[in-house]
Amino acid sequence: MNIEKFIKDLREALEFEEELNLQTNLKELEDWDSMAAMILVAFVSDNFDKNLTTEEVKNVTTVDSLIDQIGRENFS
Amino acid sequence: MGAKITAIEYVFPERKITNEDLQDEFPDYDFKKFEDKVGIKCRYIVAENETALTLAVKACEKLMQRISRDKIDYILYCTQSPEYFLPSTSCILQDVLKLNKGIGALDFNLGCSGYTYGLSLAKALINSGQAKHVLLVTAETYSKFIHVGDKSNRAIFGDGASATLITYNPEEQINNFLFGTDGSGYDSLIVQNGAGKFPYNSEAEVLEYGSGNTYTENNLYMNGPSVFNFTSEVIPPFVNEVLVENRIEIEDVNQFIFHQANAFMLNFMRKKLKINKDKFYIDLNDGGNTVSNTIPIALKRYMSEQSDGSQKIILAGFGVGLSWCGGLIEIDNNI
Repeated sequence: MNIEKFIKDLREALEFEEELNLQTNLKELEDWDSMAAMILVAFVSDNFDKNLTTEEVKNVTTVDSLIDQIGRENFS
Repeated sequence: MGAKITAIEYVFPERKITNEDLQDEFPDYDFKKFEDKVGIKCRYIVAENETALTLAVKACEKLMQRISRDKIDYILYCTQSPEYFLPSTSCILQDVLKLNKGIGALDFNLGCSGYTYGLSLAKALINSGQAKHVLLVTAETYSKFIHVGDKSNRAIFGDGASATLITYNPEEQINNFLFGTDGSGYDSLIVQNGAGKFPYNSEAEVLEYGSGNTYTENNLYMNGPSVFNFTSEVIPPFVNEVLVENRIEIEDVNQFIFHQANAFMLNFMRKKLKINKDKFYIDLNDGGNTVSNTIPIALKRYMSEQSDGSQKIILAGFGVGLSWCGGLIEIDNNI
């Protein structure tokens, strides 16, 4: 998936007010809560057929780190 | 020879808490988004002097308006909110309902998977010739465990009780059930203090989780993301196993009725299983997540809108434990 599209779709799915970029730390955003964590897992599963484990979700900080958890080979 | 579900009744307590009520109490939390994603509009909670048993008695009396109490020869009482540590609440229920004394009665401690386990146990009692008319009761008051400042859990959980009569039947209508247990997830949904491992602590520290939710270790704690990860990963393949076990394809199932915990999560599972919306029951708007009550309530609500004739329903309960159980039933609209 194209990284820009990924960031745009991610923000839409999460219904976040704040704009996202690669360096945005998702966990530190005001809108981040357990519902966001749930939506994130569903979003990754729907788009990449990958089930993020609780551990992997814990390791996510920035959008860039999320891309790492999903696997950089999935992005263009 | 087999077993069938003959009748189901359920009750909610009187006090209704709407999302507007919660919004007034917690003005900084977005309950519109909650309603949209989780799919709950209101939940009902017991008064201070009421217990899960209060609700159970009401549900059972509602059932007894249609079936004779003298027929019941076994009580299976599913609760995580017992009247006392001992004796079993089912014994008290026998007395309050004035059922015969020559019957079996026991409590079992399960939550979201409780009703499906209960159906499988009732079937086993009947098919082994040990009972003919089993009263399966679910009764839960999680509201009593939840901290006043825990807006997430106060929004999600509701109280309720149900009573189901399962009777012996010439044809088997409670088909094959499968089970799952993963105790490594024991602390994903837990009330830590007050039992064997940790005593109740009147000076328990107030802790925080998520977006400003408060609780103490005397209260219910749920790790939402953890539970979501478990359900979304384990349950879809499990449901496929249940289909195979019952030698039935998705096309031949009339409806999939799962534990109604969270609309978003349920829809996610539906998509993973590639089941059409019209075959997949999602409705927890009125009542919220009532733990072991959600499946009997959903069954009753769904079947009341069906025309005559029996339907093939796949049930799946999953959650606290971690525990899960699912199977195929055939059921009529006169329940």
